[in-house]
Amino acid sequence: MFARLTSGTVIGIDACLIEVQCDISGGLPTFQIVGLPEKEVSESRERIRSAIKNSGFSFPPGRITANLAPADVRKGGVGFDLPIALGILVASGQLPSTSNRHLYVGELALNGDVCDVSGVLPLALAAADRNLEGVVVPTGNAAEAALVDRVNAYPIDSLADAAAFLRGDREVTSCRSDASRLLETRSGEIRHDIADVRGQTQAKRALEIAAAGGHNLLLIGPPGAGKSLLARCLPELLPPLSFDEALEVTRIYSIAGLLERGSSLVVRRPFRAPHQTISYAGMVGGGHGIPGPGEISLAHHGVLFLDELPEFDRRVLETLRQPLEDRSILLSRSGISVRYPASFSLVGAMNPCPCGFLGDPIQACTCSIRDVHRYRRRLSGPLLDRIDLFVEVPRLSTEDLFTAKRGPGSEEVRDRVEAARRVQWERMREAGGRFSNAELDADGVRRHCRLGEEPTTLLRRAVTRFGISARGHARVLRVARTIADLEGTERIEAAHVAEALRYRAQLLAGTAG
Amino acid sequence: MSLSGEEAERLACLYLKEQGFQVVARNWRSRFGEIDIVARDGATLVFVEVKARSGTGFGGPESAVGPEKQRRIAATAGQFMQETACELPARFDVVTFSGGAPRLHRDAFRIG
Repeated sequence: MFARLTSGTVIGIDACLIEVQCDISGGLPTFQIVGLPEKEVSESRERIRSAIKNSGFSFPPGRITANLAPADVRKGGVGFDLPIALGILVASGQLPSTSNRHLYVGELALNGDVCDVSGVLPLALAAADRNLEGVVVPTGNAAEAALVDRVNAYPIDSLADAAAFLRGDREVTSCRSDASRLLETRSGEIRHDIADVRGQTQAKRALEIAAAGGHNLLLIGPPGAGKSLLARCLPELLPPLSFDEALEVTRIYSIAGLLERGSSLVVRRPFRAPHQTISYAGMVGGGHGIPGPGEISLAHHGVLFLDELPEFDRRVLETLRQPLEDRSILLSRSGISVRYPASFSLVGAMNPCPCGFLGDPIQACTCSIRDVHRYRRRLSGPLLDRIDLFVEVPRLSTEDLFTAKRGPGSEEVRDRVEAARRVQWERMREAGGRFSNAELDADGVRRHCRLGEEPTTLLRRAVTRFGISARGHARVLRVARTIADLEGTERIEAAHVAEALRYRAQLLAGTAG
Repeated sequence: MSLSGEEAERLACLYLKEQGFQVVARNWRSRFGEIDIVARDGATLVFVEVKARSGTGFGGPESAVGPEKQRRIAATAGQFMQETACELPARFDVVTFSGGAPRLHRDAFRIG
């Protein structure tokens, strides 16, 4: 009258295997789920009962207890429906006991169908780490489970299917994944070609530098100049995702339940553009129970684009500071804390003033100086400090608008970016991992951004003249390092420093150094 | 047509025996309330509530026995199991009458 099966729950980005124990004993007919279940798990009782009855089994009389062990881990999600239902069937003798070599996960519909759940990829990875033989998952999740080639992924459609599999009556062929092939063929695809953006040569150059060094970028210009178009091109200027990176991104999307049904690997770098009204929980992650990933984690290894940057809630923008530094976010709630990766490139876009036309050669700006100051003050100094490149995106000239001349395409730019990135990876190899210039700390800047005599003189003059802060100084050096890497020279020349100085925050003079 | 409560319980008993149940007790009382029939269905102990006037068209057996009544039956059943030191798995059934014919609703409700 006792059964045990393996299932699991997702905590943050990792999964924890859970043993589902079912016991049926004499007594009044009760059905309890114990072991720190969240609300959705306790609610599963009604689904399980109906699903069992509607799958041609009988729901046993007596006292039924399902325990989820270890009992001190909070369990959320609806994936326990299937293992608990199977556990009840085994405990009541309607199914033979199992060897416990498989992990079961799935939500039950009242008619006994198995529905897709989120977080299957981390579960499959955890199952592989524990040397389980396979995972039994809803059909819609099979492709993502199959990404883990150390376990078999068995797709099932209903409780009856799962029961037949457990009995050994049915041969369920495990799913195979063609992920690496998919990654090879699809990751390089270009959907937003930078050649399609007219004019804006300087902004395109800045975008290339941002891509090459992993720098954060702020685009400033009047409405309609092409800021959003430019931002949209950035993910495809970055080197294609490696398999490990793609797996990391897929993990996050799996947990968030954002994988399309039947799709396996996320092969393209994410581009997230949340609306200005986003809450801080939506941005950094949160929600009831175990906190889920926010936009900054969904943009992991990709681009987070914040259009109309000053319109965002100040509190939301301030929450970005720490993840921009740490490249991950730790969400702590009572009794639980989870860490999500959040290594993204930030691209902000804003108008130069509330009406948008300050400095425009044709349309006059209607804002008072006070309005302009108030508008810009919405961006705090500490946030702007984390942005390396400030770029003006002016209104397109009439010639640019009507010319048919196209600049270099995304593919060409990406080749240069990849070459520059390889130089950086090689240089920072001893740090363990693939690092970009934007991630250089004070020590890194000292070691890798040494200047000769001529560039030093230039920078010294600029520092005195523009009143550049120590942090601004390091920023210029990092950008200059990337510009030199793009050119393929190890030495940073005066020309590189001069170009880097162009991308300082002088556009927002008076609000930040 | 309508049956008196007592008549309905008598008919229900006969019907249960036909279905292979063994009637253990009738009108078993505790301070919480009363259970119409206690029976055994194989290795399962069954507490049966008989509803004389509940026809079809007025919802299922759960609605025939309201939540308050369910609580009372459950408490009484608990008492019964304690007093008889019964360790069998238990079930709650409801017998309804539609057009004079008894109908058995197995596992009509559960506790909690």
